Amino acid sequence: MARVVVDPVTRIEGHLRIEIIVDEKTGKVVDALSSGTMWRGIELILRGRDPRDAWAFAQRICGVCTSIHALASVRCIEDALDIQIPKNANYIRNIMHGSLQVHDHLVHFYHLHALDWVSPVEALKADPVQTAVLQNQLLEKYGAIGDLLPDPIGHRAYPKKFPKATPGYFRAFQEKIKKIVESGQLGIFAAHWWDHPDYKLLPPEVHLMAVAHYLNMLDVQRELFIPQVVFGGKNPHPHYLVGGMTCSISLNDMNAPINTERLAVVEDSIYTQVEAVNLFYLVDLLAIGHIYVQKGQTYGGGLAKKRVIGYGEFPDEPYKGIKTGDYHTKILYHCNGVVEDFAEGVEKAKYYPLVGKDFADPNVIQEFVAHSWYKYPDESKGLHPWDGITEPHYTGPKEGTKTNWKYLDEKGKYSWIKSPRWRGKPCEMGPLARYIVTYTAVKQGHIKPSWMDEMVVRQIDFVSKVLELPPHVWLPTTVGRTAARGLEAQLGAAANLYFLKKLYDNIKAGDTSVANMEKWDPSTWLKEAKGVGITEAPRGALGHWVIIKDGKIANYQCVVPTTWNGGARDPMGGQGAFEECMKDSPVKVIDKPLEALRGIHSFDPCLACSTHVYDTEGREIVEVKVQGAQACY
Amino acid sequence: METFWETFKRHGVSRRDFLRFATAITGLMGLSPSMIPEVVRALETKPRVPVLWIHGLECTCCSESFIRSATPLASDVLLSMISLEYDDTLSAAAGDAIERHREEIMKKYWGNYILAVEGNPPLGEDGMYCIIGGKPFLENLKETAKGAKAVIAWGSCASWGCVQAAKPNPTTAVPIHKVITDKPIIKVPGCPPIAEVMTGVIMHLALFDSIPPLDSQGRPKQFYGNRIHDTCYRRAFFNAGQFVERFDDDGAKKGWCLYKVGCRGPTTYNSCGNIRWYNGLSYPIQAGHGCIGCAEENFWDNGPFYERLTNIPVPKVEASPDKVGATLAAAAAAGAVAHGLLSKVRNK
Repeated sequence: MARVVVDPVTRIEGHLRIEIIVDEKTGKVVDALSSGTMWRGIELILRGRDPRDAWAFAQRICGVCTSIHALASVRCIEDALDIQIPKNANYIRNIMHGSLQVHDHLVHFYHLHALDWVSPVEALKADPVQTAVLQNQLLEKYGAIGDLLPDPIGHRAYPKKFPKATPGYFRAFQEKIKKIVESGQLGIFAAHWWDHPDYKLLPPEVHLMAVAHYLNMLDVQRELFIPQVVFGGKNPHPHYLVGGMTCSISLNDMNAPINTERLAVVEDSIYTQVEAVNLFYLVDLLAIGHIYVQKGQTYGGGLAKKRVIGYGEFPDEPYKGIKTGDYHTKILYHCNGVVEDFAEGVEKAKYYPLVGKDFADPNVIQEFVAHSWYKYPDESKGLHPWDGITEPHYTGPKEGTKTNWKYLDEKGKYSWIKSPRWRGKPCEMGPLARYIVTYTAVKQGHIKPSWMDEMVVRQIDFVSKVLELPPHVWLPTTVGRTAARGLEAQLGAAANLYFLKKLYDNIKAGDTSVANMEKWDPSTWLKEAKGVGITEAPRGALGHWVIIKDGKIANYQCVVPTTWNGGARDPMGGQGAFEECMKDSPVKVIDKPLEALRGIHSFDPCLACSTHVYDTEGREIVEVKVQGAQACY
Repeated sequence: METFWETFKRHGVSRRDFLRFATAITGLMGLSPSMIPEVVRALETKPRVPVLWIHGLECTCCSESFIRSATPLASDVLLSMISLEYDDTLSAAAGDAIERHREEIMKKYWGNYILAVEGNPPLGEDGMYCIIGGKPFLENLKETAKGAKAVIAWGSCASWGCVQAAKPNPTTAVPIHKVITDKPIIKVPGCPPIAEVMTGVIMHLALFDSIPPLDSQGRPKQFYGNRIHDTCYRRAFFNAGQFVERFDDDGAKKGWCLYKVGCRGPTTYNSCGNIRWYNGLSYPIQAGHGCIGCAEENFWDNGPFYERLTNIPVPKVEASPDKVGATLAAAAAAGAVAHGLLSKVRNK
């Protein structure tokens, strides 16, 4: 048995360590550890603060999925204070969210994930003429997927960001890569396992095309976030408001934050989102994924085959509360639920719905700490976010010293990430999970599908036809997880066009309100208020829970996607999605576990998000161990 | 860093003698004569500034802001101005491979690489709230700084502490200047800093081979020389006494001054009013939300964002004489030339 350590894992957000125990003879992974190696304490920092400021603090949980914690936070405070936002604010927030979905997924594929699949070294062997031929062939072969994205506005005369397919273009990129390699200063391409056999799975022309697109998309990605800059003033970390948004709309005032010119800026960038997804991202995904599937690289499903979870997203219109259940009557994206055993086929899979009251139910969502660096009085039990206990308890490694690890202790505590569970069971979350839940909900007839749900089904059917495999075979795999992310980026772009049209229509109808200020003053609040804010972040379902007392935050907790996916094993022996994926992937070269890395990357890990603590109501900070109150976040 | 050809020129060596030198060196290193043009090219080509970009406790918004730069584009910066030899976010390699590469680069370019730090070190729990390669980030930071020519503190985390250092600072997170005390540090605060400010600092280093002129706080004067209040496009409304009283009121639609709803413009030094965000597209005030002061020290603890404050400390920056950071020395000692030449040509 070999024990392979990768620390730091790169091309993620934050700090992560993985350890894999491999049978050298068979290349089979017998066990795997995922350890969150960072912590900040933001929940503790929020205590005692003005709830109207919470979104700004919470947003700094993560700058990659920027805006999503702000969204979860304002929803959470509004749920606690019974505030319903105006229609325009709902549409604007949805567009900002859809823009995150497009940007985050696309940048993840090209700039964080792609180098697990393609190599600049292989790209040097490509024939630029054949690469141009290939680009055209791929657009012909897979381009029809763009037709699945409805456009209710119709203002784009023709695509502006069309992939270039001339030999000279690819030759220029190849020349640049050649110069870099020859300069000896390889920069971000240095020191990697480029000689791993998997880099030979794709022909050199695919490598060159993909590397060229990596660079194109690095130039273009900034444009995808323009809606956040217009509506929120900046990106990363745009501004929100409890009660709505601050970007007032007026067609009569020259200096209004939003007028027709500003809307045109937003509209133009949404079309850029559409083109980047339809013409670059999805085509490249299908090109690479198709070859990988044909060559039998269908491992890495892990937990996705057994159990996935989502909370639901994209409220069509403003709602009256989340814990009241009204949010779930308004959503368009019905990924709210748990699906078990999808790998047995969509008819045999078991579906369980999730709605508002389930987030207040102490038995539904809980966190365990048996294998994480925290203490509970009884670590065989899990705790709901509103009942949490925080006592950090760092125990060091199995081998090595407290400040210089050799190997962590999988039988003991080994991570700053806790273990969230649904009814005591581990679940995978993310675009793949959402697609499985939505697909199952529609196919088994549990919901009246919205246009968004129907688009999800059509997208999955399109890819199934290309791969000539049913969804339950190709979806729960590393390739499938990667494909689902791309399809969801297309969903985000579609959502943006849809909500922009709604915004136009509403302004046309004479409604320019963007903020409900009726409950702005703390004097209008109850002495004690409890709220929950949920959203579907790029990496999975996200929840914030708050208790407000006397106008200040008494308790604030976040349970975040990468906590679910990257968390330590629970006392019942259930392992999280990262660990299950690594166990479900081969290792062809023992000291270069590229398959494990590719699998971990397929979750788009975000560690700043994953580590956190929560406090009991009114529990004094003095009970928490010193050296700073070691809350984590 | 000047090229070797430039060094030779500076010492009065003719082109012909330079080529003779290159020929001799080629033979000395056991390379075939066909390699002479390569050797010459290596001597003539200016190496890009090597940058090691490490991450402590942070949220990665600085990295994300960096790639939003329109001018210069991140691709031009990364491929043609600098050589980003280490970055948690973008580097292909992981684990032992990337850590060994970091050590090799440090050794190879000792005294000549730039250390860029995003995030900050926690001092609590012996630093084990932030771990790289099984050891505290604090150690990684101190070690990597040793051979740096200069250090860039990206964002408010590295410059001041930012959100994790806000009360009660659970992990005892500190800004990097508390840990690195013997190197010039360029502070580029903001949560995050504006994209073109970040790439502007890098471009200045690559173009002028020197640290941009810094103010008494260690911030580049060209980006942090004025308060938002001085350059804000809504200043005329402030002067005329036209204020937003409540969000989405009539004044908000008219784009009036946000002073009364808590704007920190009067006490915040940054380029949001002039360069703005996204190459001039907008900034928070333009979207109707007051400045929260994200480039200033302690901004998280200066009271609720929507309340008008009277006691925000404003450091005196305009009047103090500035201590300009040490100018970078060219790497041209004769002994270093031969050594550098050898490794440069060999490293293909």
